[in-house]
Amino acid sequence: MTSLFDAAVTASDAGEGRIAIKLRVNGQEREVSIDPRMTLLDYLRDVLHLTGTKKGCDHGQCGACTIHINGRRMNSCLALAAAHAGDEITTIEGLGTPGRLHPMQAAFLENDAYQCGYCTSGQIMSAVALLSEPCGASDDDVREFMSGNICRCGAYPNIIRAIQQVRRDQQKDAAPQPAGA
Amino acid sequence: MAQPQAAITQIGQARARIDGPLKVTGTARFTSDHNLPGMLYAVPVGATIAKGRVTAIDIARARQMPGVRAIMKRGDFPPMSHITPNFVEPLMADETRPPFDDDVIRYYGQYVALAVADTFEQAKAAADAVTVSYAAETPNVDPHLAAENTKVVSERGDAEKAYAGAAVTLDAQYAIAPETHNPIETHATVANWDGDELTLYETSQAVVNHRNVLADMLGLPRHKVRVIAKFIGSGFGGKLWPWSQSPLAAAASIKLGQPVKLVLSRPMMFHAVGHRPRIEQRVRLGATRDGKLVSLQHDYVNTTSILDDYEENCGEATPHMYSVPNLRVTSGLAKRNIGTPTSMRGPGAVPGLFATESAMDELAVKLGMDPLQLHLLNEPRLDEGLGVPFSSRHLKECLTLGAEKFGWSNRDPHVGAMKRDGMILGWGMAACSWLAARLDCSVSVELRQDGTARVASASQDIGTGTYTVMAQMAAEMLGIAVERVEVEIGDTKLPPGAVSGGSMLTASLVAPTEEAIAAAGKALIARLVAGENTPFSGAEPQTLAFKQGRIMAKDAQTSMPFAAALQTLQIASISGQGTGQGTFGAQRPKLSSHSFGAHFVEVTWRPEIARLRASRVVSVFDAGRILNPLAARNQIEGAIVMGIGMALLEGTEYDAASGAPINANLADYVVATNADVPALDVHFVEYPDYNLNALGARGVGEIGLAGAAAALTNAVYHATGIRVRELPLKLEDLL
Repeated sequence: MTSLFDAAVTASDAGEGRIAIKLRVNGQEREVSIDPRMTLLDYLRDVLHLTGTKKGCDHGQCGACTIHINGRRMNSCLALAAAHAGDEITTIEGLGTPGRLHPMQAAFLENDAYQCGYCTSGQIMSAVALLSEPCGASDDDVREFMSGNICRCGAYPNIIRAIQQVRRDQQKDAAPQPAGA
Repeated sequence: MAQPQAAITQIGQARARIDGPLKVTGTARFTSDHNLPGMLYAVPVGATIAKGRVTAIDIARARQMPGVRAIMKRGDFPPMSHITPNFVEPLMADETRPPFDDDVIRYYGQYVALAVADTFEQAKAAADAVTVSYAAETPNVDPHLAAENTKVVSERGDAEKAYAGAAVTLDAQYAIAPETHNPIETHATVANWDGDELTLYETSQAVVNHRNVLADMLGLPRHKVRVIAKFIGSGFGGKLWPWSQSPLAAAASIKLGQPVKLVLSRPMMFHAVGHRPRIEQRVRLGATRDGKLVSLQHDYVNTTSILDDYEENCGEATPHMYSVPNLRVTSGLAKRNIGTPTSMRGPGAVPGLFATESAMDELAVKLGMDPLQLHLLNEPRLDEGLGVPFSSRHLKECLTLGAEKFGWSNRDPHVGAMKRDGMILGWGMAACSWLAARLDCSVSVELRQDGTARVASASQDIGTGTYTVMAQMAAEMLGIAVERVEVEIGDTKLPPGAVSGGSMLTASLVAPTEEAIAAAGKALIARLVAGENTPFSGAEPQTLAFKQGRIMAKDAQTSMPFAAALQTLQIASISGQGTGQGTFGAQRPKLSSHSFGAHFVEVTWRPEIARLRASRVVSVFDAGRILNPLAARNQIEGAIVMGIGMALLEGTEYDAASGAPINANLADYVVATNADVPALDVHFVEYPDYNLNALGARGVGEIGLAGAAAALTNAVYHATGIRVRELPLKLEDLL
């Protein structure tokens, strides 16, 4: 993670009390001048209008704002936008689209792993990150790894079904082909 | 013309939600996702006392901060009207006082000012810089309740006399901590006044009601206010009726002439947007030695706010739940310096059944009887409260099927006697009930030349699957694929729909959808008959029918799909509208309509480390015909998750000195997370309830929460011998 001071403060484009930063979001370079108090979450939602990432508590307690920073999951409400210059940021919009779903998005759809859909972006971003984390194989392991994302609708059983389905499919894909196949 | 085809059965199919692709990609737009050109951000300032008066509000510093457009307080906009609630228009609000109405503070967090600025950061900083002076008094947030006025809710026989003469009696008191809904989407309003009309993007479970209340409060004609709620980040009752952030945002937009976004913070969700109040209940049961109930007394009291009387109807299920000749149910209120309570998932029956189903378990212990047997023995033949038959009651089957699937017959009734892997097991059960009713509801249907249809209603989908179930219904009735149905809801420009509440919306939509399709069919027949070169030119309209999306001659085997008819007529589409009549609140119903169910719960208890876990749940429901098993099971599972929270985790704590909810965040007000929830095994016994609607469907949003907490604490008793009579259970209770 880069430090706050890597963000260049330039008087010309920033204006009084503002700060110019460059961020890479969903593979695209963005250069904007912002209020240095702005969280990464508000930057995504209010400046870039990437509203798929949700605010549920603004205190890192619910997980609705989960995004990936350099491939790792993070609560974007606990990150200052200005502290992430140069970092690679991925949001739900960078994962897939309604016509071209990421396998995790497809599994959430198939397993009805949501109700209202508000926490869903965060659940999916956590679930995708979990695939490359050292998480055990059992449902209980996944429950533990997914407990930073609250679903007040309580779609937890279906969230587990969706994630385990994707993990099984991944293992099948990764398994060596039997001889002669 | 083709032969009629067999109906495509869309009902009862587990199908993914039609709005699902939007939800899994972050493209479903919730209220706070709307960013309008020139939009300002508003942050309210809440009172930091719970009782007293505002003596001064100093805005000087806040007003000159960067980007600030206004600091609004009492007197800065014309006074708003108070609402006199009624369910008919509908015009419902639990907090009837408009914001900034006077200088009296009656609860902590009551809005006293509003900061409006160019950005959220600026508005928040300005709100924090407003200095409010108070003449504070000591608030009353005492959790010990004494009913200030009581009334008899239901009575039959002489309950006191029968209790006094009963061979076996039980007298127990139960309490439930205030629960806060805490949908993950906080309440929000995006208000846009264009100089003539007001558009509100709202977190609303009832857009028509919201429109009526806001128009009346602001003194605008109702047709000049439009409320839009396409996606709602759930509500659980908290978003049924408007709260004061909405008129505040509207007033700011009207005054400043720009769109205003106001999103409540998580702590504010504990102040002025309702909650399930604290409830104390006393249950007295009298029975014969062989377990036949002879008397049931259920007395309850809940807190309400200083200005509004919100009654938690805990006795909703009590009069029809058990066969008992002598019964008396009374309610009472206790006023506190706390914001106005409101309906929270399963209002009334859910807390009520925690008490009565705990009491039944306690009575079973006293009788030395299996609680399942006690339930079966006291199963009524008719609703003894109303004196009418049940529309459809299959609770016995829920109980016996649940017991079989759970393995209840292997239960050793002795406390702490069952063990597994070094842990003590507790097995508990409880029965449940939730009302089944319809609300007034209108739907329009448009049939199009390309074979697709559009159904529309100013109803909402709060995560319950309304988009999908409306598409399934219309597809079933029109004999077309679900994919060919477009659903539009969540907008007061559409025909007035029903609220998403009380598990009533699905049942309310059936009749008007049928009627709307019939009306469109009738209009189509009229055009075909009048048309010159159609297969039905000159026919008598009454010889034709519209069935399964096809026009057919009643005396012939021939038919024509609506798309072909529209093509023949060379018209793009034809529409119809239908309106269904509600049954909710009927004074003298001929039938008692309810859903029923049974929960069987296993807990594991490790006394050496004081670790209690819900480890297994089997639940069976009689909830009519299930239209979409995938979404229905999800509703039930989610409700059981909330039941685990209610029993083990959730409770709002009010500080006696300040009156503040001191655990007003999701780290201190704990709700169930994924790791708290074991495998849930949910079943339906499907008996269509055709008395309620033509599809036999009832709603399933609330029944899963009813009885869940009691089943859990009954299991805790079986494991530990400790009877939990106050929720949430605290570990220290078990030590």
